[in-house]
Amino acid sequence: MILDAHGHVGTWPDFLIPDPTAEGLVATMDRLGVTAVGISHLLAVGPDAEGGNRLALEIAGKHPGRFGVWQVYNPHHRTPLATDGVWGVKLHPDVHQCRLDDPLYEPVWRLGLPVLAHGQTDSPWSDPAQFATVAARHPDVPLLMGHTGLWPSGFARAARLVDGHPNVYLEVCGSQSTGRWIARLASLAGAERVVFGTDACFLDMRLGVGRLALAPLTDADRALIQGGNLARLLGKGHP
Amino acid sequence: MPKLIVDAHRLAGPVPFDDLPVDPRPDLDRLGIERALVTHTLSLYSDAGAGNDALFALSDPRLEPVPVVVPGVPGACTPATPADVRAWGARMVRLCPERHRFDLTGPIALRWLAALGDAAEPPPAVAVDLGETSPAQLRTLAGLLPGQRILVLNPGYRRLRALAELMAEAPDVWVEIGTVNTQGGVEWLAERFGAGRLVFGTGAPVADDCGPRFLLDHLDLTPHETDLIAAGSLERLLGGRR
Repeated sequence: MILDAHGHVGTWPDFLIPDPTAEGLVATMDRLGVTAVGISHLLAVGPDAEGGNRLALEIAGKHPGRFGVWQVYNPHHRTPLATDGVWGVKLHPDVHQCRLDDPLYEPVWRLGLPVLAHGQTDSPWSDPAQFATVAARHPDVPLLMGHTGLWPSGFARAARLVDGHPNVYLEVCGSQSTGRWIARLASLAGAERVVFGTDACFLDMRLGVGRLALAPLTDADRALIQGGNLARLLGKGHP
Repeated sequence: MPKLIVDAHRLAGPVPFDDLPVDPRPDLDRLGIERALVTHTLSLYSDAGAGNDALFALSDPRLEPVPVVVPGVPGACTPATPADVRAWGARMVRLCPERHRFDLTGPIALRWLAALGDAAEPPPAVAVDLGETSPAQLRTLAGLLPGQRILVLNPGYRRLRALAELMAEAPDVWVEIGTVNTQGGVEWLAERFGAGRLVFGTGAPVADDCGPRFLLDHLDLTPHETDLIAAGSLERLLGGRR
């Protein structure tokens, strides 16, 4: 079973995404054997969280079992949050320019659902040190550090910073990641703390799947990373 | 599965910022990559000439040298003259205008590149990392040196529009696909410019080789187009020289 923890649908202003559609993702998932992907709509990551979340839920409804929804919470807009029918909450401190440890996110932590947050080493908004801070405040909330800090120079530090916070998982998507780094993170943090993601359609799902499929890992570790860990932390919530 | 896979962009040697394999061959074996075009890391992170010496000393037909050229006035260049570049017999050379602080479209670089070919032998292809230049500068270079084959390394995915403009305007530009990693980006380029303009390359071990290698097996293209990207386009880029 392959579960992709980190996906998107929609367009993004910075660059051209040749295939930003849910249908394109499903076709790719079918080819690669990906069971389901958790998405946030890029409209929701951008200026309209409420509208984008609605679109993500519509997509999930149209393709039963293939899409989980990470509902985006915009701390400035105090986005309404659902408690059922979603995988959890997506935070993007860098786009929203609101630090991950800001009190404005309190409604998210109170909800208690898994949280996937963009993580970026040395960012004033989402440095991995802030994941350690909020994980200590909310030890019962599963927290996925998106991209494990994004830059390879920060991967090992990110793993060290959250070592004592078992509710934090290292999610490995990103254009700078490598198969070698996924294997290193499994060694540094334990494979049970590493979660697979692709960032599709922002990035190409095939590259993310291939990075994991060909990473120098044991079969047992690969199984945990590619779906076992996410299924465990989502519990009955995943499709 | 492509018939033959050649990585057009591989590094050998140590890097200062990580502990990575210095010998690419075990990873090539593991991933089923037949051959690679290789630049030595000393040429990028230390001394260009020392790196080229280390590169040629590898002396393995599986690892085709892509030495680094630093055009410049006497005393500021590597190697000493364009004739020395020709004497290498390399089918591709690499230019690093940002790293080595020279003007890619300045008069000296242009004179060096113009001097690398002759009537009997076309000049070697030139590989340039997009992070070391810009699409506009490469377009200028291609316009000033018609027929000069250029391989764009590490094009990334965020500048797909500018990359497309470059490919549309400069027919002798090829693109490495390893970092074209937005959803469907490789097929989008292939549809517009043909798979014959796209080259499999990774930039490993600094960049990822697992994802791009897997992508080759899962492209939504014909087997012929995939074979071109895996190895055939590179041969055309290299001008059939051997």
